[in-house]
Amino acid sequence: MTDKIKFILDGKEVSASNGETIWDVAKREGNTLPHLCHVDKPGYRTDGNCRACVVEVEGERTLAASCIRKPTEGMKVKTGGERSEKARQMVFELLAADMPAKDDGPDNQSQFWEWAGRMGVTGSERLPSKFSDAHPGEHDVSNPAIAVNLDACIACGACVRACREVQVNDVIGMGGRGHYSAPVFDIHDPMGLSTCVTCGECVQACPTGALYEKSLMDTDGKKRVVQDFDRAVDSVCPFCGVGCQTTVYVKDDKIVQVDGREGPANENRLCVKGRFGFDYVHSPERLTKPLIRREDAPKEADIDLTGVDPMTVFREATWEEALEKAAGGLKTILDRDGSPAMAGFGSAKGSNEEAYLFQKLVRQGFGTNNVDHCTRLCHASSVAALLEGVGSGAVSAPFTDAMHADCVIVIGARPGQNHPVAATYFKQAAKRGTKLIIMDPRGQGLMRHADHALQFKPGTDVAMLNAIIHVIIEENLYDRQYVQANVSGFEALKEKVKDFSPEAMAEVCGIDADVLRDVARTYATSERSIIFWGMGVSQHTHGTDNARCLIAMSLITGQVGRQGTGLHPLRGQNNVQGASDAGLIPMFYPDYKPVGAEDIRSKYEDVWGRALDPQRGLTVVEIVDAIHEGTVKAMYVMGENPAMSDPDQLHARGALAKLDQLVVQDIFLTETAWHADVVLPASAHAEKLGTFTNTNRQVQVGRPAIPTPGEARQDWELIVEIANRLGLDWSYGGINEVYDEMASLMPSLGGITWSKLTGEESVTYPLNKETGLSEWVIFGEGFPTNDGKGKIVAADLLPPDEVPDDEFPMVLTTGRLLEHWHTGAMTRRSDVLDELEPEGIAAMNPHEIARQGFVAGQMISVATRRGTIEARLRADREVADGMVFVPFCFNEAPANRLTNPQLDPFGKIPEFKFCAARVGAADDRMEAAE
Amino acid sequence: MNKHVGSGRSLRPGRKKSDKTPKGRQIDEGALAEVRALLGDQPRRRDLMIEFLHLIQDEYRCLSAAHITALAAEMKLAQAEVYEVASFYDHFDVVREGEAVPPPLTIRVCDSISCMMAGSNELIRNLEAGADPAEIRVLHAPCMGRCDTAPAARIGDREVDHADADKLLAMAPNGETDVLKPDYTGLDAYRAQGGYALTGRVRAGEVSADDLIQTLSDAGLRGLGGAGFPAGTKWKFVRSYAGPRLMTVNGDEGEPGTFKDRWYLERDPHRALEGAIIAAHAVEAERIYFYMRDEYPAVLEILRVEIAALESAGLIEDGFIELRRGAGAYICGEESAMIESIEGKRGLPRHRPPYIAEVGLFGQPTLNHNVETLWWIRDIVEKGPKWFANQGRDGHPGIRSWSVSGRVKNPGVKLAPAGVTVRELIDDHCGGMADGHTFKAYLPGGASGGILPASMDDIPLDFGGKLAEVDAFVGSHAVVVLSDRDSIRDAALNLLEFFSHESCGQCTPCRGGTEKMVQLLKSDGKIDENALRDLEAVMRDASICGLGQAAPNPVNHLLTYFRDDL
Repeated sequence: MTDKIKFILDGKEVSASNGETIWDVAKREGNTLPHLCHVDKPGYRTDGNCRACVVEVEGERTLAASCIRKPTEGMKVKTGGERSEKARQMVFELLAADMPAKDDGPDNQSQFWEWAGRMGVTGSERLPSKFSDAHPGEHDVSNPAIAVNLDACIACGACVRACREVQVNDVIGMGGRGHYSAPVFDIHDPMGLSTCVTCGECVQACPTGALYEKSLMDTDGKKRVVQDFDRAVDSVCPFCGVGCQTTVYVKDDKIVQVDGREGPANENRLCVKGRFGFDYVHSPERLTKPLIRREDAPKEADIDLTGVDPMTVFREATWEEALEKAAGGLKTILDRDGSPAMAGFGSAKGSNEEAYLFQKLVRQGFGTNNVDHCTRLCHASSVAALLEGVGSGAVSAPFTDAMHADCVIVIGARPGQNHPVAATYFKQAAKRGTKLIIMDPRGQGLMRHADHALQFKPGTDVAMLNAIIHVIIEENLYDRQYVQANVSGFEALKEKVKDFSPEAMAEVCGIDADVLRDVARTYATSERSIIFWGMGVSQHTHGTDNARCLIAMSLITGQVGRQGTGLHPLRGQNNVQGASDAGLIPMFYPDYKPVGAEDIRSKYEDVWGRALDPQRGLTVVEIVDAIHEGTVKAMYVMGENPAMSDPDQLHARGALAKLDQLVVQDIFLTETAWHADVVLPASAHAEKLGTFTNTNRQVQVGRPAIPTPGEARQDWELIVEIANRLGLDWSYGGINEVYDEMASLMPSLGGITWSKLTGEESVTYPLNKETGLSEWVIFGEGFPTNDGKGKIVAADLLPPDEVPDDEFPMVLTTGRLLEHWHTGAMTRRSDVLDELEPEGIAAMNPHEIARQGFVAGQMISVATRRGTIEARLRADREVADGMVFVPFCFNEAPANRLTNPQLDPFGKIPEFKFCAARVGAADDRMEAAE
Repeated sequence: MNKHVGSGRSLRPGRKKSDKTPKGRQIDEGALAEVRALLGDQPRRRDLMIEFLHLIQDEYRCLSAAHITALAAEMKLAQAEVYEVASFYDHFDVVREGEAVPPPLTIRVCDSISCMMAGSNELIRNLEAGADPAEIRVLHAPCMGRCDTAPAARIGDREVDHADADKLLAMAPNGETDVLKPDYTGLDAYRAQGGYALTGRVRAGEVSADDLIQTLSDAGLRGLGGAGFPAGTKWKFVRSYAGPRLMTVNGDEGEPGTFKDRWYLERDPHRALEGAIIAAHAVEAERIYFYMRDEYPAVLEILRVEIAALESAGLIEDGFIELRRGAGAYICGEESAMIESIEGKRGLPRHRPPYIAEVGLFGQPTLNHNVETLWWIRDIVEKGPKWFANQGRDGHPGIRSWSVSGRVKNPGVKLAPAGVTVRELIDDHCGGMADGHTFKAYLPGGASGGILPASMDDIPLDFGGKLAEVDAFVGSHAVVVLSDRDSIRDAALNLLEFFSHESCGQCTPCRGGTEKMVQLLKSDGKIDENALRDLEAVMRDASICGLGQAAPNPVNHLLTYFRDDL
């Protein structure tokens, strides 16, 4: 409806559009009425309970809460006047009567005190407080980041809506009744012992500071002590691929608070990492001076600098010496052994500009395509399948399209942990009635919201998905017209899946045929269905096949190219999309232009002024192997930590140790840097300007909030330094000039200028060539393939590379934890995150633990054919019997010492999600590492 | 200077170990099995949450954290979603780890106004002195709807009139703690008296919905739960909104001083059930949810039996009337709060508009009626609208069921015309004042309707009219008579303590206002009248529902009419 309602507001005729409340209209008219329970932000339902915004409606006996009351035609509303003003003032007096005095409470700058101040309310002399010494308000500081002071609580329920309706973490409830009403965590548990995931949405919503950041408070967590900020910098979150926009508050060059901003991907929301994990930048472990390896410090695969004084291995150096040593060493080998001896790992945590410069350095300076980054370990197989099938590796629609979908499938992803803010949209959609289908061998919180939760047998993705495709075809649920017009390969698929009836596959994948049929019908027949997936799909030797099945599902049903439909691999790192787009991969120049294509290469040869390598380069794991084979001898690693992230860790670390020259540029002395010849201290995310592209194809601007520590320098400047010392003549006046050069080579960024980006904060690419508007959903009219059609590649059933046997009877699967980011280099140096998840764990089902005679909490060993680690045993019902889960972020219990480096043949991604393992008590050492 | 100390955080001294489990309380397999056994094959619907909580509370005398967690998992809900509901209602005892399970037997003693006047405080003191706390706990409880036999108590599920400590403590060891059903007219007897014949005629189309609406309108039948909304008009409204429609019966008779609904249901329940079935037919409601307060265990048992009898007799389809058990919350007598409670939530009144006739239970247009309103329908239709209307006084059509309690000789449910005066009720219906008591004041409409002085004994008691002019109302027709031996300030304090206990806590004026009024009324020395008046204003003007808006009525009248008692 677009009908406007006309009504009289304070004597003036105004109009309200459908859905607008009196409060909204008054605000639009320049009269913001007092409000406490009403959180004037997207996603917050108005509740009308605090009565701070009451107004007079002519003809009505009582006053109306303007925040929840919608005007009707001809209604006469008076916002001022003695009656409503008196009522509002009494509301504030009533609430203030129960609160500590302004300067004794948790936040003297709260919304409450701001409005109270405007009304002249400072407390109440005449109304006694409901609290007394015998019955004080609850004070709970059990959460490492958030202090709870319920003597300041006004029971407005903003925190409940934040937790339950906005983030849908469902931890906070409003317990009790009457004046005992108060927010509670779970069953009135201490916040720190509850299921709280510390997203801090409640803090951001609370109008009084009853829930407040400890980082701004005294050590008791009772009073605000940081009273003002030196600056507030608009930026983006450094962690995952969701790309939440933030505002970073700085005092004395320290970040003291991070708030969510209204970005298209987060609408003010953040997760625990983004909101409370900022302090890693201030870690005393930051690298502040260049380091050069001491002559007497040997390189070894199993070097462990944990707790060791690094000065026994490195010495400090001047920048000049370090850069000369770094570039000189690289150049010596380049001159001696040629381009094939050179390689570089860039980082998906850096900016687009850094990624662009880095791959340019490797291609133009090293003369090779041996450049890659951790995308290889995440979604390389997804990208391979997508490029093959739909001609583009990027998502077809943003994850926020879940809100427009009738059916959402999440497979092999745990967005609640790894894309927490994206997960809020999935949960909200499910609450609104969207059919949510979760497929994952491990259980997860999201399954509570799901219509179907398919905990299939690990490694049987293709069996399960082909069975679903079988049903769609067998029951004629596919979109014949769409297939005819837009799809190739259908007949081959039809033939292939004939043998995959749900009845035949039920035993294989462990999901009942009825469920498979229902899922197939739900997905195919919903008006709009969308698929999200993560590394549970991609990190297999059959990862590309898994993704091919998902692509086939969407193509045959036409569930792509429209709002609320499509294919969305949830990208892991904050800039893995952008780094890949910028060409930080061995087979492509920027924008996925093949290095082998003559016309493309000659264009780059013109621009970069030299002959370029026509062969595709080596991928991450291939480079490691090439080092062992003696081909690759020198590496430049920027912000990447292969010593932790690569499979078969001892093998990977052995390679790093074997290099003649390893230059590591990072903010910490990472496990990779332990093996370096030269370590260059560089810039953290919060210290740099640059653009970052999230999983939604949204290019956003990160801005420096604080200076780099000590002598640390900007990453992009260091790349330029190395380039110029290799004899390249690079000159950039600033990061914007790097962006301009990059964008000029990337049609996908066409029309997206630096000034447009910095002006709009977020621009989704591509822009429509005619309208200039962002295309949030692509593939509306065919696909960017040679024939314009989506190509189906049917997949066969392949077992995982290494299946359990008598010696290694369990399945090991690896992944992440909510609190720790990637290899933990950043997050383990954040006090809050480290306190929440302080040490390496291995998780097993309580039944399995009992069966094997272990006790949760004890140290166990986990062994595979490649190595053994020790970790603390966690009892977790989400892990299936027969499985053990180990997160890869803990350097003291590094999962990748165990993982299988066997690669998917297309994406070259290792099988992180499945290998054979055995567990034992920690003191009962295994010989498996031999 | 670099200050690296090595990046192995795990070796730092004094570090905490990681948790043995994922965050928060884990599911206890044993508790889960117990909950599953209790729930059986019932659908795990959200709206059944309170029923499920009753199952657990009844079986284990409390709701342990383990059971709450298990129930949450079973219902695919979060722990907080279950806990916040459990903690809202008085009749649930949440017991967290390390807390004591309540003793085997609970005695609840009503301390609302009529029972207070009859000595409930002394009764409680005597019980506490005489009961073994390991075996028996003694709790204050709000109105039990037995004000005519005050003080009222409940031992286990047995309701006790004229309770005294010795009697109660003697009942405990004798096992006299189960439900005691009074004699009443069962289905067969009711049918033998012509019951459900009208239902048959209505269903056969002999009496149309329009006929029914006209008849009720002509009779002047109004909602007798307290609001007095014309019943016929309500049916018309509900019918005007597109279906599917639902119906609710409000049996949450909690207004202190009110006991007529219990009285009728304990005597002739089918008259109310037939009224409900006819009403549901008239508005084409697909289902009736009968919400009955948990303070009436005998009525609950009667309804269970008689609804099953209706199903067996084929008079209704199985499940057409769904009995829902309250859990101890006065606010659920407010129709939108009741609807929230039926949906399995905390009983928070909703904002209006929209009204429940348009957006009610499960978002559907909903017809809601009080028990007594339905009780009259059959008689009005069978005997004609005039039969009903003519029993009232001039300008006050209809007959009313007055719950009279307090200082009168013969308290009880009194059938008397609408528009009767308190003087007539005392003298003509209750045999005068109790011996030794002189009429001083009266509550015309339970706790909410205000307190008027004996000098206003000639006001016709009905909706609106002269009562409204003195800021009082008749509400559920619960008249409590006070005498020269009663302090009006004590009475007002009792009423405000009731409202403070029963405020749902949603809106500031009611939540804070009732609590502050109690504190001010309790304070020694001179009462801060300005503060009370300011609170009165904000409660009246800015509370979401009638509870908060009416709660200051007794204080207003105390300050206006009973200055000697201040």
